Amino acid sequence: MLACVTLLAPFTALLVAVFLVPVGYAIGLSLFSEDHKGLGFGGGITVFTGLRSYLAVLDDPSFMSGFGAIALYCVIFVPVVVVSALALALLLDSGLVRLRRTAQMLLYLPHAVPGIIAALIWLYLYTPGLSPVIKLFAQADITIDFLGLHTVLPSIVNIALWSGLGYNMVIFYAALQALPREVLEAARIDGAGDVRTALQVKVPIIRASVVMVCMFSLIGALQLFTEPMLMNQATPMVNSRFTPNMYIYDAAFRRNNYGMAAAASVILLVVTCALSYAVTRWAGRRDRSAR
Amino acid sequence: MRWTRKVTAALLTIFAMLLAGCSAGDSSDTAGSGPVHITFWSALRGSQEVVDEFNRTHTKIKVDFEQVPSGDQGGWAKLSNAARAGNAPDVATIEYPQLPGYAIDGVPRDITKLLPDSVRRKILPQAMDLTTFDGRTYAVPVDIEPMVFLYRKDLFTKNDIPVPKTWAEFESSARKLKEADPRSRIASLFTTGGTLHMAGYSWQAGARWYDTSGETWHVSMDDAPTRKVTAYWQRLLDDDLVRVEPSSSQQWRAHLRSGETAGWLAGAWAAGSMMSSTPSGKGKWAIAPFPQWDLKKPTLGTQGGSTFMVTKDSNRPKEAMEFISWMVTSPAALRAKLSSGVSSAYPSVPELVSVARKEMDTSYYSGQDIFGLFHREAKLIDPRWKWGPRMVSTTSSGDDGLARAGAGSGTILDALREAQRRTLPDLKSLGLSVTTH
Repeated sequence: MLACVTLLAPFTALLVAVFLVPVGYAIGLSLFSEDHKGLGFGGGITVFTGLRSYLAVLDDPSFMSGFGAIALYCVIFVPVVVVSALALALLLDSGLVRLRRTAQMLLYLPHAVPGIIAALIWLYLYTPGLSPVIKLFAQADITIDFLGLHTVLPSIVNIALWSGLGYNMVIFYAALQALPREVLEAARIDGAGDVRTALQVKVPIIRASVVMVCMFSLIGALQLFTEPMLMNQATPMVNSRFTPNMYIYDAAFRRNNYGMAAAASVILLVVTCALSYAVTRWAGRRDRSAR
Repeated sequence: MRWTRKVTAALLTIFAMLLAGCSAGDSSDTAGSGPVHITFWSALRGSQEVVDEFNRTHTKIKVDFEQVPSGDQGGWAKLSNAARAGNAPDVATIEYPQLPGYAIDGVPRDITKLLPDSVRRKILPQAMDLTTFDGRTYAVPVDIEPMVFLYRKDLFTKNDIPVPKTWAEFESSARKLKEADPRSRIASLFTTGGTLHMAGYSWQAGARWYDTSGETWHVSMDDAPTRKVTAYWQRLLDDDLVRVEPSSSQQWRAHLRSGETAGWLAGAWAAGSMMSSTPSGKGKWAIAPFPQWDLKKPTLGTQGGSTFMVTKDSNRPKEAMEFISWMVTSPAALRAKLSSGVSSAYPSVPELVSVARKEMDTSYYSGQDIFGLFHREAKLIDPRWKWGPRMVSTTSSGDDGLARAGAGSGTILDALREAQRRTLPDLKSLGLSVTTH
């Protein structure tokens, strides 16, 4: 009993301090906010406003469009990152690649670069007049606008991909390393080639990892902030409420509306929890039915 | 959040005490002798010179000045945060559009009684109206900026293009200029900063994006005059008669220098800005009255301009007001401001125009009497305009939409409608009484 408490204490303490207390505080902020009368001049008083902030957030087209942007981002980002990370991991695992450790490290290296730095570097490469890439293309008479109306989302995906690829590859690679060798041997004896072994033996066995990576990418996407926030400085195509997280930041620090910022945070939390639950349930059911 | 403010204040006090360390007790803040110190934040150029002049000529009040970043560079957030923490300066500078938002957040003090009548009477009534809501005054205007048309006189003359007096003429001049020089455009459709320009154009046409009658905010950023204005600009945009670019951007300045952008529709302050940012344009630029919809009934909007507020946090409101009154009405203050370089800001006190006229070297504009022009134009400013409660985010939403319109996605009117849609939830969540019509 004592051991149980001791072992759980650090986790519980952290959970309470960095998750439950802030969530409680946010819920409090979302229910109590400044209230004004008429034109509202001269400052307001903080009172219990119930669900008013929530209704305002849900009534705001820019909050909803943030989820739209995230959905579009996911549609591009999740398949690309999962498929390419999986392909790289399988290549490394197949033994076809020489200098495996070096390759692994090189691919993982971008993940070690803080997101904000990576975004800054990419922004430099995207900005007309600064970017050597654009200059290079211009010499070949090709005009590229990385920050245009339709190219800006792929540009953001590219930044995230760069750092997410190596990380997810390591997860897949670790899972592949844990595969029982006798299964692979059996596959080979049965006459399966490298590609067939990879796709029909290895991938199904590490499906749990694939689902996990999908879920993390999805949750990560909902939290999207750093990259578009920086892009917002460079192009009006990324507006200041481009993603739900940016909406929250904008509400709190540009509009001084803490009630709405808190309400939007709580809504985002609920959506994230619901989505994670749905993905795990769905994966679990498929898992069971597969058996 | 009252208690957060208290906790923050307490924390700051503890921090200050720790910093003060052993020197605690030296503070002469409450001492009866010596001058009263007040703090002043501004992003306006020339503020340091004005403060120096004040401190030189005044013994009872000393002003401690801090140059803060301009609004969109972090100045707005800095002031909001300081006010929330309870340590805003005694006097702060703020532009007209942002004033209602701050007044709703309770940052400025209600100075209706504090402002001496002698000062109020000197200020252009239209300027005073922009800082007064429901009979309560929240700031003192220092400059008001009637919109004017800066244009490349040499290019207009060379290509035999008349200087437009009306918007219809503006369009035909735009076409002629493009015909004469296909790379050249008469003016810009601004993306960043464009919403405030659209506001100025709509203001002139008689629009009222925000109306405060009957204790209620009536919001209509797409009323009939605005629709007239946006349809006009949409046509200029669709026919490729204006250049789409962010205001104050490098590319825009480069185009002004090269003559590819041959005009600039902006507040009177732009004259000075042009002189300092485009020295090579000396002798080439001139300033014309703003194009009108109807020459028989000329009206005007503004773009730019600043006000001074006494904050609620200030412990020295009387001294703060004395400093503000001096800055706004005294010729010495204006002279000090002009001494810092080139400013063509049009003073909110018309009787100071003669000072500005004398101090300003207008050889850049071939000696044109630009302040005389501003003086005539300022009288035309439509007094009915009011700014809304959350203009920082309203204009940034509008600017995003204008950038999309410029890229061919949606229209200028869509941009303004979207800005309104994105503003309303905020107003409602504050408990304000809001209608749209």
